[in-house]
Amino acid sequence: MSELPILEGINLKKTYQLARVEVPVLHGASIQIHSGQWTTILGSSGSGKSTLLHLLGGLDRPDEGGGDVLFQGNSVWSQTNRQINRYRNNDIGFVFQFYHLLPELSIFENTLLPSMLAGSKYAKAENKTRATMLLEQFGLGHRLSHRPRELSGGERQRAAIARALVNEPAVLLADEPTGNLDEETGGEILDVLSELHDTGLTVVMVTHNNDIAKRGNVVVNLRGGNIVE
Amino acid sequence: MYQTLLTTRYLTSRVIPLIAVAAVALCVALVIVVVSVMTGFLDMVQSAGRTLMGDVIVSYGISGIPHYKELQKQLESDPNILGATPIVDGWGLLRMPYPDAKAKQSETVQVWGIEPESFARVTDFDSSLQWKAPTNNQRDWLLLDAIKNNADELRTGMNDDQWNAFVETVNNASSTLNFAEVNLWDDIETSVSKEQWNAILSLDVRLAQPELLLEQGLALERNGKPGIVSGLHVSDGNERQRDGTYKVIRNDYWWLPRFEGTLTMLPVDSQGGIIEPESIIMPFVNEFQSGVFMIDESRIFVPIATAQSLLHLDEAEIIDVDNPTEVKGVDPARATSLLIRGVEGIPVEQLREVVRTIYDSFRASLPTDSIVMPPPRSDPGLSINTWEEQQRSFTGPVEKERELMRTLFSIVYFVVAALILSIFWSIVFEKTRDIGILRSIGASRAGIVWIFLQYSLVIGVVGSLLGLLLGWGITKNINAIHASMGNPPLAIAISAFVLAGIVGVYTFMKGRRGLMLPIVLGSIGLVSFAGIGALILFIRQIGGLVIWDASVYYFAIIPNSVDWPSALSTVGGAILFCALGALIPSAKAADTDPVKALRHE
Repeated sequence: MSELPILEGINLKKTYQLARVEVPVLHGASIQIHSGQWTTILGSSGSGKSTLLHLLGGLDRPDEGGGDVLFQGNSVWSQTNRQINRYRNNDIGFVFQFYHLLPELSIFENTLLPSMLAGSKYAKAENKTRATMLLEQFGLGHRLSHRPRELSGGERQRAAIARALVNEPAVLLADEPTGNLDEETGGEILDVLSELHDTGLTVVMVTHNNDIAKRGNVVVNLRGGNIVE
Repeated sequence: MYQTLLTTRYLTSRVIPLIAVAAVALCVALVIVVVSVMTGFLDMVQSAGRTLMGDVIVSYGISGIPHYKELQKQLESDPNILGATPIVDGWGLLRMPYPDAKAKQSETVQVWGIEPESFARVTDFDSSLQWKAPTNNQRDWLLLDAIKNNADELRTGMNDDQWNAFVETVNNASSTLNFAEVNLWDDIETSVSKEQWNAILSLDVRLAQPELLLEQGLALERNGKPGIVSGLHVSDGNERQRDGTYKVIRNDYWWLPRFEGTLTMLPVDSQGGIIEPESIIMPFVNEFQSGVFMIDESRIFVPIATAQSLLHLDEAEIIDVDNPTEVKGVDPARATSLLIRGVEGIPVEQLREVVRTIYDSFRASLPTDSIVMPPPRSDPGLSINTWEEQQRSFTGPVEKERELMRTLFSIVYFVVAALILSIFWSIVFEKTRDIGILRSIGASRAGIVWIFLQYSLVIGVVGSLLGLLLGWGITKNINAIHASMGNPPLAIAISAFVLAGIVGVYTFMKGRRGLMLPIVLGSIGLVSFAGIGALILFIRQIGGLVIWDASVYYFAIIPNSVDWPSALSTVGGAILFCALGALIPSAKAADTDPVKALRHE
């Protein structure tokens, strides 16, 4: 495709320090995500797929001199902290395997949280309307005031997707969104993502499951920290 | 905005903030109570020494200072000196009015012969007097005493019927007043004629004019007779109440101003030999409380002339040994010491020098042919000291104790600070994953820190204000608390056992389901309540627990005023430590990359 990728990882390297041992995870992975695509990153455990997604989402920093992440052509990691926060909050929506909802807040408040963080992007009432609308869309309209612990795994993940979408991000990054769910519930979550993709949302999903990977229209294989086409 | 939401939720949906508030409150209260009591203790040591002795003391052992009135005059004419008062001090035996049996108890007392008027100028004598006016009971006892002592006189004014009714009223009263309130005053007033009532009232001036009780105390005399003002703990009849006030046992029966005492002292001749003991019967006119237990339990005040006469320090003729009929001169009355109070603001050391100079000029001003001269300053028996020097043996150990307590305080402060820091450290540490979530959805580092700063400030402010309230409550009531520890009510022990029983049954019921937490918590509750009950029973068994022993700590009461500067700085310090305790770990967590924080378990 000749079109500029909306999100691009260039020669990404990442090494973790575990105790005194350096464990290289990514060896120079490059990936291009184009607008409107559903890209799945397929790889076995320890292949570095989650790390790649974290780097793309601005949650983790590549090694010194270990490549860069470009969003709409601009380097993410050369920006100021404030801009990186804004990138996480506004441009990217992140869905985690373990949902990562705040236990003290209701589902509605969890969903609203990113727009509260954004501050002035929307008027308050509009934020609330959008959060309610998303939760209703995902079948959680009757659960607004419930705490995460009162919800099933599938419901929690749907709430987490609603949270990721509340600020209308350009890209949704999902890290094994079904990894913690049974097959049926996982299927429901994938259906939700499919619907979102059908509306034009760019989705990047990480999975180790070949069948799930087929949901995407682009599959990127990651093996031993390298992209293998 | 989101910070306030999260802070509120963190504070309201978990138990740990309540534990943190309780911990902060207890720490603050602990420091406030300890600091207040110790500061109060030191203040009492300082002020007691001064108020009871003046600022500078001139003293000359047993044989006393002759011409002391002249010295007093010269001292009082100095602008640096507010007042000077002579004292004759010595030890004596005081025969008390109790017990009821014929063999009465005697107390060893330190007798201070004083000149009441100048003594009150130099010390706080007037405010230390215990009885300002008789209570209703005490007035009834005075009335009863007056009637019994003057029965014959009263009999003559009444016919038989009147007299019999009167005697019955009086007898009934005297047999019940020991243990119950009676309305003797009104009963007698209504049963006799106006003239007879006035005649009864005139038997003791204190009946018609209760304020004379205080005046007699201040003047150390009653009806022209020299009287005794004794320390409040000299008499066994006075009992300290839980609220710090005093009550006289047997419904004021053993109220000392009803009685007379016999004071015996041993005079000593100029060579230190003992002369025949001298005794005098004197009425007790009042009692005083200095607050220093050692003084209150042993000191009595009598007029200086009485003490001089008992100790043979009064004015006497000097007789020629070879020719007993010839009087060689007059040996002037002597005082064993003079207490001097300086004007406001003069340092005691400077005052001591002023007094030394005046003493020299006083000695020089006496006619050179005086038969009896006051001792020169070089005499080792003469001392001119500040109250601190005079009381070194008393204040020295207290100062050492103060240093020790200061060191302990600083340890307490560190412990409290470390405790608060660790509480917040663990609270923030536990929330590391939340911090990761917030960072991953775009929260700034400062925003994260602000959540925990707000959180810690709420806990710090609420906790330390509660601590202040608690510390204030404990400090104010510390004497009552101490008294109840000395004699813990049985009801508390019973309640504790009942609670232990309830907790035991509850634990058993829950424990049958095999859950560990109710068993652990229940067992702790059971052991604690049963332990409290058993401890109370034990304390009652051994006759009470006395932590603050007045005879060890010098003071009859535990200082109970809050040291506000320390209390407020403790509150400020606690809030600061809460803020620091949350700031450091939350800043550390906020600096962690979101992914690392999210992985936190």
